[in-house]
Amino acid sequence: MDSPTQNTSLQRLQNVEKRIIRVLELAGGVMDELANPTGPRKEFINNHCREFMKMIKDIQVTLRDEIKSACEYRPFEKCDYSSRISNEICCKKLEYVLSQLDAMKQTIDEYQATI
Amino acid sequence: MDGNLEISLDKLPIKRLESIEENGVERYPSDSSYDEKRVSLIRRIDFAWALEDDEERERKKRQKKSSKDASATWQWQSMVENLQLAHQELSVIIDLINTVDANDAVTVAGMTRPKPLLNEVLSDLAVSAATKLQCYRQLGKYFKQSAKALEEQIAREARFYGALIRLQQNWKVKRQRLASAASSSEGFIIDLFDNSLYDSAAMCRPSSLSTIRVDHDSAGMLAINLPPNSCRSLHFGFLGVHSADIPKELGKIRTRGSVEQCTREREKESVSDDEYIKETHTLLREVHQSIFDDQVFEMLNREAFNQSIGVNVTGIRENYLQLSIGQGNTLFISLVPSSKGDDQDAANTQDSESAIVPLDSFDNVKLEEGKHGTSKRKWGFPNRTSCEIYLQQIVHEHAFVKAKDKPNLSGTRVSGQSGKDGPGLLGHFCLSLAHRIFSNRVLVELENVVCRVPYLHLMTHPTWHSQTSSWTIFLKVPQSILHAESQSLKSDFQNMKDAVKSQFRTKVVVNDDRINVEGDGAPNVVSLFKRSSENISSVNKYECDLADLPVIILLQAASQVICWLHEEALMVGIKTNRDFLCLTFELEQGDTVSLVAHVNPEDIKGGITWWLVMEDGSTDDWKLQMDMYDGASEYRKFLGHLTLDVLYSTLMDLVSLCGGGRNH
Repeated sequence: MDSPTQNTSLQRLQNVEKRIIRVLELAGGVMDELANPTGPRKEFINNHCREFMKMIKDIQVTLRDEIKSACEYRPFEKCDYSSRISNEICCKKLEYVLSQLDAMKQTIDEYQATI
Repeated sequence: MDGNLEISLDKLPIKRLESIEENGVERYPSDSSYDEKRVSLIRRIDFAWALEDDEERERKKRQKKSSKDASATWQWQSMVENLQLAHQELSVIIDLINTVDANDAVTVAGMTRPKPLLNEVLSDLAVSAATKLQCYRQLGKYFKQSAKALEEQIAREARFYGALIRLQQNWKVKRQRLASAASSSEGFIIDLFDNSLYDSAAMCRPSSLSTIRVDHDSAGMLAINLPPNSCRSLHFGFLGVHSADIPKELGKIRTRGSVEQCTREREKESVSDDEYIKETHTLLREVHQSIFDDQVFEMLNREAFNQSIGVNVTGIRENYLQLSIGQGNTLFISLVPSSKGDDQDAANTQDSESAIVPLDSFDNVKLEEGKHGTSKRKWGFPNRTSCEIYLQQIVHEHAFVKAKDKPNLSGTRVSGQSGKDGPGLLGHFCLSLAHRIFSNRVLVELENVVCRVPYLHLMTHPTWHSQTSSWTIFLKVPQSILHAESQSLKSDFQNMKDAVKSQFRTKVVVNDDRINVEGDGAPNVVSLFKRSSENISSVNKYECDLADLPVIILLQAASQVICWLHEEALMVGIKTNRDFLCLTFELEQGDTVSLVAHVNPEDIKGGITWWLVMEDGSTDDWKLQMDMYDGASEYRKFLGHLTLDVLYSTLMDLVSLCGGGRNH
């Protein structure tokens, strides 16, 4: 429905949650309107109920799609922890080289300052 | 009783269907008991006539009475009648109560509802309508309240799960369904244990830090609580050497991840979720690294007692291992907690070291000559950070990278825990360090020699092998001489270029702690004895030790110069005799003029000095002229340190001295 803006399933599920809240608010609004001492306004209630049903349908469609498309969860087939350690070691190497280069630059600057 | 007899007909006492429901269930009237039947029969007896007769009699009486004294007792008559009726009703009730008291079965035959008055109907309707409206209102409020509560809860959970999903992109998040209601979290844990290890038998013990519980903080956001000082990191150092750049490194790295800082940051509301997630991620990185460092240390400990080559354990404490790598150098490896800053670490190193000498530990620094004498032994230690990194790298490659994924490391392939034959990981590391320290000292010596002699140039060759180092010393003939030569002898230009070498090489190779020197341009030993002047320049190859290295280099250079001069002389057609360090020209009458090189490594102005020695023909023996102190038959002139240009012009002068007619 609003698929151009929601492109991850996480966002769609969050949208479903928001719709549930909206549905509850509509129900509350309808109840309040029914409790109106001057009598309920038909159009108001009609609109709310229509929106309510529409939202329920949206929720149902979205949830069905998400459940169908949820992929099987295969936990941790490829663990990248060892390459993470390699990267950490490389980071340390880089930091060390940078410190050496900084020291060299400092030496050059000092030399040029004394000239 | 007179009047008409009335007959009523009963239905047959058979069960008749009372009703059928929608789903086909048939309902029969329930059986009535004996008493009920009796009561219903009694009820059916019509006492109306009795009541009517009574009423008629009463009315006649009243009419009579009223016609008699209509005015007197009229207003009380109805009251009397009402009271009599009430009395009757009361007696019925009292009978009923007595019957109930006597525990006889009484069944209520039926009660007719009093017919509601009009205003009662309306007020009933109004009350029920008002109750309904109230119910609706309450429902409405309930719905709205729950909508709001749900919204808040969704916002909180969205924050929590959003953070968890971002962490899940990098770390393994697992879930345990905890049945205990006491834990407010949903049982998420982050698993930092790597179960894809190459050497899984050795590393199958996960540390206590491997599983981290994910908690909620007060705002419902994801929180990770770690006990302080639980992260440890590897620390490497040389005993007796206090590196000057420790505080800088520690200040940069350690302040990022302490847990106290995390909780402090969280209290400030200004930290955005993004930054908070990044901090948590950094914290997890530190824990991961700490687990790796623990594993490295454990493996090193195991290797240290496996009796492999190159490993000598000289000290061991909790989280501390000390090794000696030969030539009096000792190193230590320890695990220190990584949350405190510089002070604790400096204190640690103070504890574990006997003497602390401030040291500038950069490699390849050109040495001032003033510093040379006193701290000669302390120079040349590799930077401790680079050693630490190297150690981590080789352990990681050995233990963690699967065999097929290993990159092709030609020189650094480690044989692993081979035990008896060949060095293990730690042995390899110690041998590499020992070599490094030694080769630094060799380099110092070479640099000292080369920087004093202007025509020698030093070049370092990377060998990509951690236990081999290699340098080449070039002796280059300056371009001016070469050009002068080529201009003067144009016709044989090509031949000359090929014939006269303009560059001599001496190669120095260090394997572990053995020095090999190989140089060309030295005279063939055999031809020396034969006193032939064959132009064979062969290659000298020999081992030496560190103390003799400068002398050997200088000797090699001097002999190369002599060789070059010899060839130059041959180019111009003069036959000269060449000794190891001496070039001899023959003058007329048997006199000889020699150019002699003298080598002195302690000479700070340059290592090679030149002497001009003139002899008359009386001496037959051919010896090194430095040994002759016979002042009578020779004449020596000290020429000093000469550049190659000057040497060449000296040579040309000698050549012209030797014989003008022999030039072509």
